[in-house]
Amino acid sequence: MTAPPSPTVFVVDDYAPVRSAVSRLLRAAGFAVAAFASPEKFLAQYDPRTPGCLVLDLDMPAVHGLELQRILATKGSVLPIIFLTGHGDIPKSLQAMKRGASDFLTKPVNDKDLLAAVRVAIERDALARREQAKLSEICARLDTLTPREREVLEHVVAGKLNKQIAGDLGVTEATIKMHRARVMAKMKVQAVADLVRLAERCGIKGSSQ
Amino acid sequence: MSWITIVWSMNAAACLTLAGIYLLVWCRQREDWVYFVLSCGAVAGAALTGFELAQLHAQTSEQYGALLRWVQFPVWLLVVSVVVFVRLYLRAGRPWLAWSVCGVRTLALILNFIFIPNLSYREITSLKQVSWWGGETVSVPVGVTNPWVLVAQLSLLLLIIFFVDATITAWRRGDRQRALVVGGALIFFSVIAVGEVVLVVWGIIQAPFLACFAYLGVITAMGYEISSDLVRRADLARQLQASEADLREAQERMELAASAAELGVWVWDIVRNEIWITDKGRALFGFAPSEELDIDRFRSAIHPEDRELVRQAVENSLHTGAGYEAEYRVVLPDGQVRWMAGRGHVEFNSVGQPAQMRGASIDITERRRAEEQFRLVVEAAPNAMAMVNSEGRITLVNTQAEAVFGYPRDELIGHPIEMLVPERFRSHHVGDRHGYFGDARARPMGAGRELFGRRKDGSEVPIEIGLNPISTSEGLFVLASIIDISERKRAELEAARQRNELAHLSRVTILGELSGSLVHELAMPLSAILSNAQAAQRFLAHGNADLAEIREILSEIVSEDQRAGEVIRRLRLLLKKGEVQQHSLGINEVVQDVLKLMRSDLVNQNVIVDIELAQNLPMVTGDPVQLQQVLLNLVVNACDAMTDCDTPERRLLIRTGMENGNSAVNVSVTDRGGSIPEEKMEQIFKPFFTTKAKGMGLGLSVCRTIIVAHQGKLWATNNADCGATFHFSLPIGGSDKEVVITNS
Repeated sequence: MTAPPSPTVFVVDDYAPVRSAVSRLLRAAGFAVAAFASPEKFLAQYDPRTPGCLVLDLDMPAVHGLELQRILATKGSVLPIIFLTGHGDIPKSLQAMKRGASDFLTKPVNDKDLLAAVRVAIERDALARREQAKLSEICARLDTLTPREREVLEHVVAGKLNKQIAGDLGVTEATIKMHRARVMAKMKVQAVADLVRLAERCGIKGSSQ
Repeated sequence: MSWITIVWSMNAAACLTLAGIYLLVWCRQREDWVYFVLSCGAVAGAALTGFELAQLHAQTSEQYGALLRWVQFPVWLLVVSVVVFVRLYLRAGRPWLAWSVCGVRTLALILNFIFIPNLSYREITSLKQVSWWGGETVSVPVGVTNPWVLVAQLSLLLLIIFFVDATITAWRRGDRQRALVVGGALIFFSVIAVGEVVLVVWGIIQAPFLACFAYLGVITAMGYEISSDLVRRADLARQLQASEADLREAQERMELAASAAELGVWVWDIVRNEIWITDKGRALFGFAPSEELDIDRFRSAIHPEDRELVRQAVENSLHTGAGYEAEYRVVLPDGQVRWMAGRGHVEFNSVGQPAQMRGASIDITERRRAEEQFRLVVEAAPNAMAMVNSEGRITLVNTQAEAVFGYPRDELIGHPIEMLVPERFRSHHVGDRHGYFGDARARPMGAGRELFGRRKDGSEVPIEIGLNPISTSEGLFVLASIIDISERKRAELEAARQRNELAHLSRVTILGELSGSLVHELAMPLSAILSNAQAAQRFLAHGNADLAEIREILSEIVSEDQRAGEVIRRLRLLLKKGEVQQHSLGINEVVQDVLKLMRSDLVNQNVIVDIELAQNLPMVTGDPVQLQQVLLNLVVNACDAMTDCDTPERRLLIRTGMENGNSAVNVSVTDRGGSIPEEKMEQIFKPFFTTKAKGMGLGLSVCRTIIVAHQGKLWATNNADCGATFHFSLPIGGSDKEVVITNS
């Protein structure tokens, strides 16, 4: 597994003077910066694996800021978005925040506010990426279970007793115990409570049968 | 009988005959004194002849002396007669010479009776008997010459000088025939007569006095020309008689014509103070048919207030010979008052005295009444009125005109109308006036121009003038109706001020609607400036400043600051409550300015603007701010109309071009929103008509006011597919008239 790339601040603004000035400011603060004149150009080049954050102008023609936010969300991107706007338009900012915008700043923006917001966003991105990595690892453990083991897991998550599970599946209680121990070992957990929590994080629903 | 007696008697008879004839002529023409004088001269000639005959046959020296003494009477008479004749007939000879001749001759006559025996001789010592042809003997005096006889001879010398002077004067005057015949003969015969008498008196020749034949020559010469005159006069009299019949007929015809023309024809014999007047004239003045008329009777018919006026007109005519002309009232016997106009001319006699006056009078009561009515109408008119004659002089004004211009009536009447025109227009006005008289018809004056009048105090007053030609018997007049439009101008200015306020209010309102967009327009450059500046601060703080980068940052800061400044400038212009400006401007620039202001608002609303600007459009004249305001309104309205459309449908088309056969520039704004119901097509331009929840409904009405003030049009049409189009057009070049927003 290669080392994760360093965080990059993406700047998308159709107004060149602001784009270059903001980029310059971020570079001066030590960030790696990639600037784009339109959401389309950004989407064409963006690699979701790259960590960082997006400084996005809200007021652009055609595919504007909110639209880009929506597209990224559908792609499952976790890239935090800092909106910049000249309007301070309340309904739009509410909408952006609801959709999980990291921050919402009005132009002209002070360097401290912008850099603080960028740092927070990068932090959030890093956290989110770590969480995501952990989850991926847990889910990878799930994949090692046999179908029977998975079946038993689902019944456990549903909170059933071994006897009940044995009854449901038409096997002996001893067999269930053996499966259970193997599942606990594969999922690297000691307690049943931990097993249930991990399973739920990976989207395993308890079987009601 | 001796031949001497026969010849001398014939001479005397000839003189007497002439005397008789001339006396008769004079009796028939008493004013021609020349005939009387001639007659006197001829009698003197006859007497002289008689005395000379007696001297020839005198027997004693006493007898001779007495004859010589008494002969001085006819000589005196002859000299005086000839002098008066020359003055009357030749109309020449210096008066002082004439008086000298007569005076010295009279002195000689007096001296003649002082000396014994007479003025010629102190003593006649003897009579010498001289033999003549045919065995006749005549007496010749011998004696001592009286030196005082020089007085008598001086008078004769003066007489000859007088003749010569008169003859030269007549000749020079061009009366050559008379000068030659009458003057020449007088000089010739008098020199002979005087010469012979002088020679005899001084004893130089031994001869009797033989002057009587020369005297006959003098009288004949005097009579010759005058007799020809008599002959000519007789011819004339015959012709006169012949033409008199024609004249009478002509006169009858003239009287008939005069009567038909309601003219009273009259002749005033000034010398006899008699007035002859036609029957029509008698009726006009109220004279009885058989009444004897003189100037006093005539005056008594005139209205007492007008008598002095008529008297002066007559006096003036008599003195200057100019035509007589007067308008006056006549009081008829029944008390009725009629207006009369009289015209006439004076005829002078041969010595330059007024002899008679001929003329005609006509009843002008109806005309005066019409004039009076006209005057009353003019006076009662609500406007100032002034009537001007073809020389440009004021002939009539009313009270309103006095009030408007501040002049009393008598300071206006008779003066040139230009006194009411401000000095800077005067010279031009004279030409315009002549032009108007050349093509006179009722029309307003100075179409399209603003007119001003000049008051007495020098101030100017804005006016409107209507001109009406009035054709009268005295020529063409122009009646000008003048309206003082100061109040209207003030009201117009006040309305314009209020409309400007409203336009400003409307502008502020629309800018309020755009404020988000405008804030954004300012936020962008400010944002770029701030971030650039702070980036530079950081570069410098870390000590790793790249000079090239700093330079770039600074140049971007400058350009962004200018951009912000431009936005502020444009805003300030629109927010300013300034005077209406007049500029020559390109309509495409107005479109682009408005789009710059609205850019972010359009972006915000997801409205895409398509622009089709025609190139090389001519300039229009107008107020750039107000035209921007109109376009701003139209674009904002178009965006508002499309809020419910799907995003890709929100398209706006702004187009510029020519229309009306290239006489106007057209701008149209096309949206894809809803259409306007046909019945509201005009209503939308009325004030307070709105479809918006928050609008005041002033936008479009103010827009129309602005465009109308620019002499343009603003209207709306529905598109074939969807949406509406708003158009406005402005005349090319605009008018030079100030754009004033008025109530329309």
